[in-house]
Amino acid sequence: MKKGMIGMALAAALAASMVAGTVCMADERTTFAVGFDAEYPPYGYMDENGDYTGFDIELAQAVCDLRGWELVKTPIAWDSKDMELESGAIDCIWSGFTINGREDDYAWSLPYVDNSQVVVVTEDSGITDLAGLEGKIVAAQAASAALELLSEGGDQADLGATFGTLQEFADYNTAFAELKAGSVDAVAMDVGVAQYQIKTSEGCKILDETLNAEQYGIGFALGNEELRDQVNESLLELLDNGTFDELAEKYELSDMVCLAAPAEEAMETETEAAEAETEAMTE
Amino acid sequence: MSFSVMLEQLSSGMVKSLGIFVLTLVFSLPLGLLVAFGRMSKNRLLQNIIKVYISVLRGTPLMLQLLVVYFGPYYLFGMRIGGTYRFLAIIIGFSLNYAAYFAEIYRSGIESMPVGQYEAATVLGYNKIQCFFRIIFPQVVKRILPAVTNEVITLVKDTSLSFSLAYAEMFTIAKQIAAAQTTFMPFVVAAIFYYVFNLVVAVTMEKIEKKLSYYQ
Repeated sequence: MKKGMIGMALAAALAASMVAGTVCMADERTTFAVGFDAEYPPYGYMDENGDYTGFDIELAQAVCDLRGWELVKTPIAWDSKDMELESGAIDCIWSGFTINGREDDYAWSLPYVDNSQVVVVTEDSGITDLAGLEGKIVAAQAASAALELLSEGGDQADLGATFGTLQEFADYNTAFAELKAGSVDAVAMDVGVAQYQIKTSEGCKILDETLNAEQYGIGFALGNEELRDQVNESLLELLDNGTFDELAEKYELSDMVCLAAPAEEAMETETEAAEAETEAMTE
Repeated sequence: MSFSVMLEQLSSGMVKSLGIFVLTLVFSLPLGLLVAFGRMSKNRLLQNIIKVYISVLRGTPLMLQLLVVYFGPYYLFGMRIGGTYRFLAIIIGFSLNYAAYFAEIYRSGIESMPVGQYEAATVLGYNKIQCFFRIIFPQVVKRILPAVTNEVITLVKDTSLSFSLAYAEMFTIAKQIAAAQTTFMPFVVAAIFYYVFNLVVAVTMEKIEKKLSYYQ
């Protein structure tokens, strides 16, 4: 019995030391851990060679190249994104991340993509507008902007209330399979992802009527404005030297990108950024 | 993505699944034995603590336990969790969970041994430790092998739960390829991989069983 107790204590101590060993704080930034949904083409996904890529990933890489950081591509479970960010496992959420409706929850970068939430239906469904969704089964990804929009408290909650069921699912691939199999009537999602999926899904179409217009940004933890400002600065540099537009073209997102230097209303952020810059220089 | 690249990717995921599998067994099999001792202890306090441990670990979903082990250090103690902790959390989570199951399997084996054997051993001058490791334990191993095989096979399939922490083992990779290629082919391949993996496990365990049945 004594042996058992000592063994247990040893095992517990071992586990504790393993935890402590990996939990350490870096003084100077050398790495930049980007959290993203790896099942979210064209923003973040696995490419032909099995590497993570996408518009967001390449853009993050370009920022890291400018800053001399090492990019740590960290795929996350979308449901756990807030826990990953708060716990410090990732430095930011950079994954076609909708700002609207979450304005106060994160320290946001400059908006860089004009997005809209759309509804995809099958061509033979006979549904032509949002009103046609009444009584139907509509699917939306768990913890997604589309779901928040259609649920209670969202801007399209009234529309959402007319649906037969608002079904949550984990990833778009499954949702499209369900759509084609007829177990759901429509899928609500981001237009960029919808266009990517439509390319390989015959018989599906995007309704002309959109659910909303919104913007993507990079979400940092509240209180981490310094890092946010550094990334903002690098993004504008990439815009100036043309890299940003090149990437947008590569991923067929040219019509949607909206990155621009902040206007007067955002002067405050700019001054902050400038201050951070002087600070960095004096250091 | 060509089929061969897909196979290559899934194979690299398979190696990671195998890593979880092996490390979990390495830690949970001995830990399970310790837990079983605690469970059978005459010390009421220890016995009850272990009872609660087994009850909680068996009574809650493994996926939830993984989330708790991974995010717990931050939410409970305010520790920042870094990159390598993701894998550690998976190993800790799986080991703690499987130790609970293995403990009960060990207990079933140990308690099935007739008291007479202990008495005979005492008469022959064995002390408690010698008696357990030389006489009781070898027989216990033989008796519990089918039950252990059950758990080990379950473990192979359970490694896929690591997707909840987005660890790039085979199932997570299959999901990612499926999303990028908008196809379900990777799942078919993954299913075959898991099946073959388990076939190997089952055949190996059967061989071990045969080898140990030297009195029959």
